[in-house]
Amino acid sequence: MKYKTLFSLPLIALLLGCTNTNPVVDQRVFSFDTYINIRLYEGKKTDGEYLEELIAKYDKLSDNYQNRDISNVYTINHTNDDVTISEELYKLLKTSFDVNKEGATYFNPLCGSLAKRWKEALKNKQILDETIKNEELLKMQNTTLTFKENNVVQRLGDAEIDLGGIAKGYVLDRALDYLKEQKINSYLINGGSSSILLGEKKSKDGLFSVGLNDIEGAYIKLKNCFVSTSSKSVQGVEIDGVSYSHIINPKDGSALNENDAVIVISETGYYGDAMSTSMMMNTIDEIKTIEKEHNLKTIVIKSNKIVYSHPDIEVLHR
Amino acid sequence: MNFWKKYRNDIFLITSLLAVAGIAIGIVLGTRKKVNLTAKISVQNKVVETVNLSDKEDHDYYINGLKGILHVHTHDGAIAVLESNCPHQDCVRMGYVNESNRPIICAYNAVSIVIEGNGQANDVEIG
Repeated sequence: MKYKTLFSLPLIALLLGCTNTNPVVDQRVFSFDTYINIRLYEGKKTDGEYLEELIAKYDKLSDNYQNRDISNVYTINHTNDDVTISEELYKLLKTSFDVNKEGATYFNPLCGSLAKRWKEALKNKQILDETIKNEELLKMQNTTLTFKENNVVQRLGDAEIDLGGIAKGYVLDRALDYLKEQKINSYLINGGSSSILLGEKKSKDGLFSVGLNDIEGAYIKLKNCFVSTSSKSVQGVEIDGVSYSHIINPKDGSALNENDAVIVISETGYYGDAMSTSMMMNTIDEIKTIEKEHNLKTIVIKSNKIVYSHPDIEVLHR
Repeated sequence: MNFWKKYRNDIFLITSLLAVAGIAIGIVLGTRKKVNLTAKISVQNKVVETVNLSDKEDHDYYINGLKGILHVHTHDGAIAVLESNCPHQDCVRMGYVNESNRPIICAYNAVSIVIEGNGQANDVEIG
């Protein structure tokens, strides 16, 4: 009996050590103009389906380019009347309009029409006309969104709302709410490489390896957090030696950024998304101050080099 | 004689356990090799998609290349370009690839697909 017990132990230990690292759910959904990859290492297939529906719902709600048979951002942008919206969109809008009080001083959800104008100009390799830019800035200053009772909002003015810099992070927050409810701890939801939600990896240390696209061979190891990035490397346009970005400075109306890319590690997705957008215009000293006040960790990239990283972040290289 | 009689069952048990343990180790090591195989799809040297090739199910990806869209497909742990607007169609002709030393290149669209294995790839790319 003693022998049996003795020799069974290594086998039991071996079998217990064999954890399945393959995801239970690995699916892609095309939303927010990109592929969102949902990878769950625990849970059921129905959890993946729920998350897919959740993401698709917020994609519809935050769409500012077309009305998709619901009252969405497009609807609000095309009237100055009261609009009754879903509670989900109401809360998303409230969060978006309040986030600048939390330090995202260069984040303004009313920059929709200005961003569209810049996008059209840069598509044709042109700089936005100064008069148009000033008109759009004036529109932004004179536009308000009033939050009324029973999920009613009213936009007064002509500037359009654009939630592109926050919606993906916000929906990842809602995804995290669901995963916590279901007691799912191991997951990775990749919102098109710009907004990522990480749980714990099925490995000894639970850390996921996150590659930094802008720096060849560089990666960081993270778990249980959100990672958001804004970068002009993919959508940036160079005209006469000057690099213009799709990220618009809502204060001066320009498409010029202080940084080439900003990566933010945060506890909430909406905040990481808004901050990474806003910090594209911040100096490193300003970023350091914001980090201290708002419990964030940041990596700043300029000319394919890391010019600043929070002291707690270890950037590794292959 | 007495020894064999006395310990026959124990020896049988030990041999069985070692055999089972050997098989288990073989399965674990064999699976691990496949789990870590990933394909990195890049446009103009920027990784736009990281594909887990251990997932045996079919998946389609539509990659915005420099001059058009490439239809990339994964099947049974391998990856291929099914459609491309490039004039030479070299990328399409490569067919399904599952080896790290055979990158698929579409120079016309500045797209490359590189397979990485043995724990070299990241779980996700940001940027």
